[in-house]
Amino acid sequence: MNLRVSRMASASTSKYNSHSLENESIKRTSRDGVNRDLTEAVPRLPGETLITDKEVIYICPFNGPIKGRVYITNYRLYLRSLETLSSHWRFEVDTCLFQDSSLILDVPLGVISRIEKMGGATSRGENSYGLDITCKDMRNLRFALKQEGHSRRDMFEILTRYAFPLAHSLPLFAFLNEEKFNVDGWTVYNPVEEYRRQGLPNHHWRITFINKCYELCDTYPALLVVPYRASDDDLRRVATFRSRNRIPVLSWIHPENKTVIVRCSQPLVGMSGKRNKDDEKYLDVIRETNKQISKLTIYDARPSVNAVANKATGGGYESDDAYHNAELFFLDIHNIHVMRESLKKVKDIVYPNVEESHWLSSLESTHWLEHIKLVLTGAIQVADKVSSGKSSVLVHCSDGWDRTAQLTSLAMLMLDSFYRSIEGFEILVQKEWISFGHKFASRIGHGDKNHTDADRSPIFLQFIDCVWQMSKQFPTAFEFNEQFLIIILDHLYSCRFGTFLFNCESARERQKVTERTVSLWSLINSNKEKFKNPFYTKEINRVLYPVASMRHLELWVNYYIRWNPRIKQQQPNPVEQRYMELLALRDEYIKRLEELQLANSAKLSDPPTSPSSPSQMMPHVQTHF
Amino acid sequence: MFSLKPPKPTFRSYLLPPPQTDDKINSEPKIKKLEPVLLPGEIVVNEVNFVRKCIATDTSQYDLWGKLICSNFKISFITDDPMPLQKFHYRNLLLGEHDVPLTCIEQIVTVNDHKRKQKVLGPNQKLKFNPTELIIYCKDFRIVRFRFDESGPESAKKVCLAIAHYSQPTDLQLLFAFEYVGKKYHNSGDTNKINGIPSGDGGGGGGGGNGAGGGSSQKTPLFETYSDWDREIKRTGASGWRVCSINEGYMISTCLPEYIVVPSSLADQDLKIFSHSFVGRRMPLWCWSHSNGSALVRMALIKDVLQQRKIDQRICNAITKSHPQRSDVYKSDLDKTLPNIQEVQAAFVKLKQLCVNEPFEETEEKWLSSLENTRWLEYVRAFLKHSAELVYMLESKHLSVVLQEEEGRDLSCCVASLVQVMLDPYFRTITGFQSLIQKEWVMAGYQFLDRCNHLKRSEKESPLFLLFLDATWQLLEQYPAAFEFSETYLAVLYDSTRISLFGTFLFNSPHQRVKQSTEFAISKNIQLGDEKGLKFPSVWDWSLQFTAKDRTLFHNPFYIGKSTPCIQNGSVKSFKRTKGIPGT
Repeated sequence: MNLRVSRMASASTSKYNSHSLENESIKRTSRDGVNRDLTEAVPRLPGETLITDKEVIYICPFNGPIKGRVYITNYRLYLRSLETLSSHWRFEVDTCLFQDSSLILDVPLGVISRIEKMGGATSRGENSYGLDITCKDMRNLRFALKQEGHSRRDMFEILTRYAFPLAHSLPLFAFLNEEKFNVDGWTVYNPVEEYRRQGLPNHHWRITFINKCYELCDTYPALLVVPYRASDDDLRRVATFRSRNRIPVLSWIHPENKTVIVRCSQPLVGMSGKRNKDDEKYLDVIRETNKQISKLTIYDARPSVNAVANKATGGGYESDDAYHNAELFFLDIHNIHVMRESLKKVKDIVYPNVEESHWLSSLESTHWLEHIKLVLTGAIQVADKVSSGKSSVLVHCSDGWDRTAQLTSLAMLMLDSFYRSIEGFEILVQKEWISFGHKFASRIGHGDKNHTDADRSPIFLQFIDCVWQMSKQFPTAFEFNEQFLIIILDHLYSCRFGTFLFNCESARERQKVTERTVSLWSLINSNKEKFKNPFYTKEINRVLYPVASMRHLELWVNYYIRWNPRIKQQQPNPVEQRYMELLALRDEYIKRLEELQLANSAKLSDPPTSPSSPSQMMPHVQTHF
Repeated sequence: MFSLKPPKPTFRSYLLPPPQTDDKINSEPKIKKLEPVLLPGEIVVNEVNFVRKCIATDTSQYDLWGKLICSNFKISFITDDPMPLQKFHYRNLLLGEHDVPLTCIEQIVTVNDHKRKQKVLGPNQKLKFNPTELIIYCKDFRIVRFRFDESGPESAKKVCLAIAHYSQPTDLQLLFAFEYVGKKYHNSGDTNKINGIPSGDGGGGGGGGNGAGGGSSQKTPLFETYSDWDREIKRTGASGWRVCSINEGYMISTCLPEYIVVPSSLADQDLKIFSHSFVGRRMPLWCWSHSNGSALVRMALIKDVLQQRKIDQRICNAITKSHPQRSDVYKSDLDKTLPNIQEVQAAFVKLKQLCVNEPFEETEEKWLSSLENTRWLEYVRAFLKHSAELVYMLESKHLSVVLQEEEGRDLSCCVASLVQVMLDPYFRTITGFQSLIQKEWVMAGYQFLDRCNHLKRSEKESPLFLLFLDATWQLLEQYPAAFEFSETYLAVLYDSTRISLFGTFLFNSPHQRVKQSTEFAISKNIQLGDEKGLKFPSVWDWSLQFTAKDRTLFHNPFYIGKSTPCIQNGSVKSFKRTKGIPGT
């Protein structure tokens, strides 16, 4: 029973410390003998090397300073407290942060956005001299160091070097990571298979390899689905009239009414109101693939003012007189800069202290939920138009890689239950975001020290937040749980996997990302049970229309305020907790079985012919929940 | 309190397209006659045909045609048309889908389109125009609209006036519950039917009533008897406390229960003398004891300034003596730490306005700050926070806690209940929660009649009971596994305060029930025999309102029986599941 209780603790840890899951995988590799020289002090991934360690004082914003030893590897910053904690302390910070009554911080260097020195040689006062680290995941870390020696300078330089490797001609950790998983996440998404699943190609739509060498559009994937009646030459001509050559291509087709969601960038109308016959004809061809309605619906994600303003820089939108057979709607979603500032305000009100007395109005003044609402409302309109309005839809913003990705992927999630499974969701992210050139490198700034870069913006986080809002409103519709969304966000920053690196497919290909790095989906899919929603009930044809009203939207406390021990959710969902217990119990039995087999084989001094890795043992003891 | 702007619908579908109801497929043979279902003692006062019930504001396509009836219990809209859009998962046996109990009506507005006239109808008022529209604002946030375009103008007017008259009675005995219970006494012997409805599973008339169904048939202790209190003392293991009968026949105080629990060291004679010094003669009442011996006690202020110190000292000493560790007493002055009943009422009015009155788009934009501005959540939080602080005193500091309040029958009810819900898993069961409401609200003299404003004397209205249910809901949200009951149960419980049929939420004190119903019985020639007043049906007899199947919705599927949450420093910290897997 003792074992079970301690296991329980580690199961509940996963909720707040996503890296416990990784520890699981470390244990496994060490069992396999890949990495046996793990020191007791720091967990290390294969390929991870310890750079330095230092005695510091961690200034915990919730409970005050605590002495500890910090270890810096080429992947993470790891802190273990040296003091035994007072009972008050232990009570305040939930036990899940502790191992053997010491405090643990385990931070991938990839989440660091900024490192600052605080205090000077002359500064007085306790703990006023040290480092202040700003993280991308809604927290800050402060360490106080001794003024004598060069401990701060050393730590600052090492951290800067490994947190921002690009500035130092060092590789991102993903290229050093030697982790092995029993599934290969890179095989999850195969565009041909995914289009085949959608019933493509068909009479109206064909797969084209025109972009095989990324010559038509360098930010698009190699494989595109376009109208059957449009020739490759047509596509090339249309490309000249679309920003960054991002021509309208199919994202999704309705299995019954055959209406489609098509995505692209803005037309290059400019101040003079240029027209392009090929583009107009091309949109008409798209419209004609669907016989049921006479108009093509265009959703411009931007506020109309911004769309107009874009004419000054050569962009614009589809005017009525040029596109007779199209109806244009603006969805009023703001740009990346507005979203970045909004999230900054969210951080201000939740970290380190939560503004309790005027919580709701403070939250309102961040406008974060309002932006979520607009994105969701836009996606609902797209989904409704396709499903009930029986009209094909074209979605664009300016370049078609931020708001457009949000709208198409959310609409697809509402329309197609396949994307609500774990692998389906991975495919959705892989397809609409990664392959279609959402600029992850620029938006996140992987390994880059320029924290003020105006290109950074939490667009993908906002999308995941929208997915979370949907999962709250439809608790049985998604195969994955909240933890799945959180681990995706954690590794959006961590640089441990190649999944979110670089801006587009062509860059990834040049860097041979799939050969040289591990996919996040390898980690997740080799441990799927932990990310499953026990309430999941598969419903094939159900379209989800979430309520995008302020009355129903909530701040995702378990993500945005997860570092605050006083605010975080009191208790995991009882069903999920029970589910975790059963999983832990199963792991326990598997381990025991392995031990018995090992003892048995040692006795026989004759190794068993069939390998008995845990994954292969599972089917025999697996229970169905 | 409501503006006279044209009302907006209380329901709006955000779903695109509107959900398809399969009512059309379900074509059961329809009853042609539009007749109301009446309860014993219920009579139709007025009715009007060819009435249109408006469902949406922007379109009349969902409107329903039928007959509008005013009885002495409810307004009833009877229609053959299926209800569009909104469907509830459960149905109240006492009320049709479109019915509104008269006690649930807040305000009645009549409109004449052609003359552009509007009038809020009070009781016994005249109406100089024929109404084309009737708008009923309900206490449960509903707004119901009827149009009389096709109906007889005179009968429409009569129905409106009847509703205005019957929904705003001047005297307690005019509430329908009296008529109903009177009829039941006259009809006693007819046991086949209960409330005029064929009884499926035979819920007992008065008394404790059944549990919420689904197997649990535990009786809810009502705390009307000596033995209920005695059992509660034994259940909590409160040594040093005894049941005291000096208020039998309400000889000491008319707003206390007949039996109260007091420190064993205080003699009846002393208590009688002390009682004169307390507001309303409300001497200290024991509520509950922690397993560590700390007690929760509530009392009114000592008005006698000269005696104040002395009596206070005596009482505190007695409470200390009743504590096994002789721990000190921690006093909490609720009037100083919590919002008063007027503030709670003001917050509630604002909350209601926000929820129903303004156009949706306007409130949507500033929803969060408007919600904050109502202060409702702030007050809910204040009660939770303060209760959690007292939990800390009781549980961790091992101190007995005394709740002090001027009269000790408003804020004390809420705080005493919340503390017990937080500390004692029994009160998180359905039976336990009901017994808690009996103990700390009904018996302790919470003035349901005035606070619910059944007689429309609005100056005393305050939704403290709702605030308590809201606070409980907040706890349920934070501890989904700790409560046997569900959100539905809490909602239905609150709705029941608006149905004037049950004795539970009708009176200001147990004494008032006895006094008023005895008077009523005499006037109606009802033989009471040994009974102290009429036995009104109890809300806890849920079979009167819901079928066994619907009652299963009262149960929370996440509930794990044995659980002990620990609550510290004003916030609920951690919930410990009992260790060990059943069967291993």
